[in-house]
Amino acid sequence: MKTMVIQIRSGTMMNMDTNIAVKLAKAALDKGYNVRMFGYGESVTIIKNGQDPKRFPNVGKETKELLGKGLEVVVCETCCKARGILRGEEIEGTKIGSLTNDLSRFVAEGDRMVTIAR
Amino acid sequence: MAQSLLILVTKAPYGFEEAFAGLRAGLGMLASGQVPVSNALLVGEGTLNAVAAQKPEAVRMPSNAEAINDLLEFEAKVYVVKEDLLHLVGDVPLLEGVELIDWERARQVIDEHDMVTTF
Repeated sequence: MKTMVIQIRSGTMMNMDTNIAVKLAKAALDKGYNVRMFGYGESVTIIKNGQDPKRFPNVGKETKELLGKGLEVVVCETCCKARGILRGEEIEGTKIGSLTNDLSRFVAEGDRMVTIAR
Repeated sequence: MAQSLLILVTKAPYGFEEAFAGLRAGLGMLASGQVPVSNALLVGEGTLNAVAAQKPEAVRMPSNAEAINDLLEFEAKVYVVKEDLLHLVGDVPLLEGVELIDWERARQVIDEHDMVTTF
């Protein structure tokens, strides 16, 4: 089975990048790909529990739904600390990890990488 | 399974987080031992990251020059597209160890890597 890696850097409420990333992940999972998503910079908000964007798409909720379908989501710990996002605040099943350990693993295991950023 | 990653740096230093992050990501690949080859290609405003005279202490930011030097110490290649640099700042001294290339060679470099990610 092929593995797609998505590197995302925009925050959940900045623009539609995270929505696109989650939709891309869903489409790839539906086609039978493994999908790994790594969040860097502002995009670490993807894993924050309790997102409630009212009339806008709830990226956290959509991400949570995909975890059950095999999506793996890791975000940068340094970026989280910089933004005051602490361990224990992440959606269950997501991980606050690191570039060195987790993005490297994703790259090593991956067949294709898509970068979504501006 | 990817054996090589190219970090394509498009953003200028210090005004954005991306260039520093990308260079550190490249270093992280090598430090992890999981990705054997991790190189950087500086294009557009990203070429400014290789300018020798940069003074990050003036803005109290982490040094992108140091990030490039760390990559070079790990035997990564750091390529700089000459046309883009000349267009922006002319013929200025660059950090020792970076490699000036033209766009034709840059396209080859991109093609030589299993994965490319942009910062």
